[in-house]
Amino acid sequence: MFSLFYGLWKYIFSKTEFHVLILGIDKAGKTTLLEKLKSVYSNLEGLPPDRIVPTVGLNIGRIEVTNSKLVFWDLGGQPGLRSIWEKYYEEAHAVIYVIDSACPSRFEDAKSALEKVLRHDDMQGAPLLILANKQDLPDAASSEELARYLDLKKLDERVYMFEAVSAYDGMGIKESVEWLMEVMERSKRTEMLRARAGVTGPGA
Amino acid sequence: MGLLFSRMFSSVFGNKEARILVLGLDNAGKTTILYRLQMGEVVSTIPTIGFNVETVQYNNIKFQVWDLGGQTSIRPYWRCYFPNTQAVIYVVDSSDTERIGIAKEEFHSILEEEELKGAAVLIFANKQDLPGALDDAAVTEALELHKIKSRQWAIFKACATKGEGLFEGLDWLSNTLKSGSG
Repeated sequence: MFSLFYGLWKYIFSKTEFHVLILGIDKAGKTTLLEKLKSVYSNLEGLPPDRIVPTVGLNIGRIEVTNSKLVFWDLGGQPGLRSIWEKYYEEAHAVIYVIDSACPSRFEDAKSALEKVLRHDDMQGAPLLILANKQDLPDAASSEELARYLDLKKLDERVYMFEAVSAYDGMGIKESVEWLMEVMERSKRTEMLRARAGVTGPGA
Repeated sequence: MGLLFSRMFSSVFGNKEARILVLGLDNAGKTTILYRLQMGEVVSTIPTIGFNVETVQYNNIKFQVWDLGGQTSIRPYWRCYFPNTQAVIYVVDSSDTERIGIAKEEFHSILEEEELKGAAVLIFANKQDLPGALDDAAVTEALELHKIKSRQWAIFKACATKGEGLFEGLDWLSNTLKSGSG
């Protein structure tokens, strides 16, 4: 009897944990974004941008928003390290794809890496947030320009959004997280991941 | 190097007692790394519980080193060294492709230890100067680092005998510990 109530209690009050992958080619600003997220949403200070070095592995950020826990996985974006991305797809609820909007010479690389991510079976139905980062720089492309350039086909069935942000000064960060929370809460993929974790109960 | 090290880590732990474990198979280059950092004298002890532990005390940080692999009977005693461990530095001989499978198994089994759950993990793909050494991407693959999902990790190519790559790795470690979510 007790366990029944306890289960119900847990069901109602436990916080759902969402896993969000932060991907993008090297120098896009993924770790700067992660540190910004940490400093905006938790008491942690977050590393200042000038202390951030290229990631060769996994950085993790945990934040709490309203009733949910978000775990961000920030993976290194250098060409040799991208092979590891797909190992994290299966457990991700959503993807943030970061692009340096002020570096048009690398748009092609960013585009092909993103297309590869979206083609992967384990990414099916995962909501996608594309960040046109580095808006603090004067010659940054707008999110509309970037969307036009990327010209992503097959995005029709996927929930996605472009957002202009600056991980450096924080522009667009809150809007991004709000959107992510909203789409993850009602996405089929979340249901699917929850069902798979089924035995251990909701949010485990 | 010793001085840089002092500058990096003095602000991380404050006056707290901290422990960093330096682990890996025998002959991976763990002791050489400690010597390279020139933080103090490496003291080799053979405690009564029966395995070799090398210790370097650096201000309030205790670096402790032992070999993984073999001798399953003494493993329970490893746990004596787990409490208060903020980080694990795992050293791999990148040229020892024959034993990299064992290195992988030992690595994942030690990370399962309850008391090490919160520790950040720094991997040195050591002995990059030797012919046939696997690069960082290949060592990542061989060690199946992607299985780590609840803690931060990073891998650095290193050559301990020349001192290459060590500073970069420790810089990452001190930043990670500072930002407080190892």
